[in-house]
Amino acid sequence: MNVSYEHRTLFRYEGPLDMQLLPQIVKSAEQLLIGEKVRTPLRRKIISILIELAQNVIHYGIHNHPLANPTISLTRGGDDIVLSISNPIHVSQELFLRTYIENLLSMSKDEQNALYQNVLTKSDYTDSGGAGLGILQVLIKSDSFSYKIEPLGQEHAYFTITATFHTNNS
Amino acid sequence: MTSFLHIDPSLTTPEIHFDLEKAQFSIKGSSYPENSLKFYQPVVQYLADLVNTHTPDPAKTFILDVELQYFNTSTAKVLLDILRYFEQLYEKGQPVKVRWLYLEDDTEMEDAGLDYQTAVKLPFELVALHEEA
Repeated sequence: MNVSYEHRTLFRYEGPLDMQLLPQIVKSAEQLLIGEKVRTPLRRKIISILIELAQNVIHYGIHNHPLANPTISLTRGGDDIVLSISNPIHVSQELFLRTYIENLLSMSKDEQNALYQNVLTKSDYTDSGGAGLGILQVLIKSDSFSYKIEPLGQEHAYFTITATFHTNNS
Repeated sequence: MTSFLHIDPSLTTPEIHFDLEKAQFSIKGSSYPENSLKFYQPVVQYLADLVNTHTPDPAKTFILDVELQYFNTSTAKVLLDILRYFEQLYEKGQPVKVRWLYLEDDTEMEDAGLDYQTAVKLPFELVALHEEA
């Protein structure tokens, strides 16, 4: 039997993203998840990942692109909450991102966890982020993960990460 | 060195309250600043000075309370650095106790505490709080 659920948009933001706006987005998303009766551990997990991905956009994304803005959305389909974050990137970032993510996807959860601990405790720290821990954290914490990189003009691409969380696991 | 460090909380940064006289140190709130290194620089400097100048007092136990709602990965790295400073104080003979406070059903934060407990050699207690503050 195939069961399909219509996805209902809980939250959607499209526009420039910065650190002044992020706390408001966090607060709104958190209130909507409370309204959806998403339990505290899962709610905090989703918000943590939203923060991490949004800060990746702020630090590494292309700002003020004429054709596309960053987008953050939370949708609900049945028991699943789906967080999706998109942003323009320079085409020069595409190969690195694909290679990095595909390498992480080839690992088991245990290997991902071990890598996270290793980076956390041994690697050098960078100003702009946690030495590549962000996407790794999304992979570890989400129930499913996907990404896509679509063409956006000649010099840019549109990078989307989608993380799904099962509310019945929490 | 100054014995007191206080930083007010903001929407993206925690309250920092370090009181050497009372042997109480706390980090409380959310921590996802744009630049964690910059935000925590005074804290790291305070602790570096403390490690260099402090004479261990076995009669006092330094209590470090960490109570975070959200923290980003760059904060995760700095938190480990902070714990490493307390580890150095402990190795020098200063009694230290870390209390990792989390909301009782917040398994994410509990797991994070367990990770830090494993990463450092310090008396480390995970404390489940029963109500959201």
